[in-house]
Amino acid sequence: MVVICPKCRTRLKVQDDKISPGGSRFRCPKCSSVFLVKRPPEKATEINRNLVMVAHADASVAETAEKLLRAEGYDVVTVRDGIEAMVTALNRLPFVALIDVGLPKIYGFEVCRRLKGRPETEDIGIILVPSIHDETRYRRPPSTLYGADDYVERHEMEESLVAKVNRLKREKWSAGPPVQEQETPAAGPTTTPAAAAGPSHDEGVERARRFVRTVLSDLYIYNPQMVNDSVMAGNFREAFKTQLSEGFKLYQIRIPQEVRDKGDFFNEEIDEFIERKKRELEG
Amino acid sequence: MSFINYSSREINCKIVYYGPGLCGKTTNLQFIYRKTSPQQKGKLISLATETERTLFFDFLPLALGDIKGFKVRFHLYTVPGQVFYAASRKLILKGVDGVVFVADSQIERTDANIESLEDLKINLADQGYELDRLPYTIQYNKRDLPNIVPVAELDRLLNPTKVPWFECVATQGMGVFETLKNIGKQVLKELKKHY
Repeated sequence: MVVICPKCRTRLKVQDDKISPGGSRFRCPKCSSVFLVKRPPEKATEINRNLVMVAHADASVAETAEKLLRAEGYDVVTVRDGIEAMVTALNRLPFVALIDVGLPKIYGFEVCRRLKGRPETEDIGIILVPSIHDETRYRRPPSTLYGADDYVERHEMEESLVAKVNRLKREKWSAGPPVQEQETPAAGPTTTPAAAAGPSHDEGVERARRFVRTVLSDLYIYNPQMVNDSVMAGNFREAFKTQLSEGFKLYQIRIPQEVRDKGDFFNEEIDEFIERKKRELEG
Repeated sequence: MSFINYSSREINCKIVYYGPGLCGKTTNLQFIYRKTSPQQKGKLISLATETERTLFFDFLPLALGDIKGFKVRFHLYTVPGQVFYAASRKLILKGVDGVVFVADSQIERTDANIESLEDLKINLADQGYELDRLPYTIQYNKRDLPNIVPVAELDRLLNPTKVPWFECVATQGMGVFETLKNIGKQVLKELKKHY
């Protein structure tokens, strides 16, 4: 399987048979740091009511959040980019995910939107960590949270993160006691297996999806009224036939055939866009 | 590729403002045009069609000085930003001497920024250029809006080679001339190697 060095983020291939049941320590050939590699846990089938996923590119923020949550008795899994966040959320089903809006690879708000849009993950409570340019001037308003349940600014984590997680637990999962994770918490730094990343979360696919999202985003910012009207009238594809056809031509040029063969990302993203816009307009 | 006009003793160079749709390229050019004295500038030409806009004008910045007795005239261009006008963008990049990439700082346009930068590299490569070898400046525009990505994050995403960058509010002119001055100096430095 492929693992990522927690220190230098190098991707390393590790043979499965070299990992003992309790996990094995490996030395990164690039930065020489030693870290524990464990076999990936079995894919969860229901929400783990004691597991919190912390997704933040800044290690110090992730550490602060992890420390606070572990002190409260929660199990914590940390990830550093949007792809790891999607894979971990889908495979381990945490009851709460703390997600940085500006995650690398897939933006946090996009991860949030996707998790909220899938039946198996829609109940995960999501707390966004917003981007703030200047604490006094550029606060991100909570009305634009992409479907997240709450948000916490990084400088106020110590005071309010645990309270926000507890509140979500009470509101969403008050029935029944918390379910402990099967695996023993690891000692020392551990790393998330990247091999579990399915074909729909590789970088080529992300690039393809991003391309289509940009086409749609362009259509919207240049023609907001026409987009809204056509979405509500159910004729978006017809209304933007020429532009979508131009976009598709370029999609075929820019996105390699082997990526396009993995799925119809062009139409999937259009359908998702129409659905999302419809929900926004109706809501 | 700059060209020399011997009769007017001028070296002409082309600077292209590139970036995603509605990121502020046109606003940059319009501000520069407004603030430049009539003696220094040519006509502002808009190659707008129903759906795409390209602006162009040339001007002679007096402060930059001469190269071996020749004045330097900058020709500033914008490209149509929407993703599907790749062919027009490619054409406008022909003969480019310097590029300003105008990024839209709003978080909702991060996909569009990344896509536009990819598009720039591809279109330059089609013309035989490499972005890393061209005078190149990045401008993070719309810094006055509430929903913006921090500069450090934008820089990590869009500026791996650490070229000069400027924060900007083009509608108010903040950062517009700083960006232009920087790209102008880079272009001039490059010209001096050849003339």
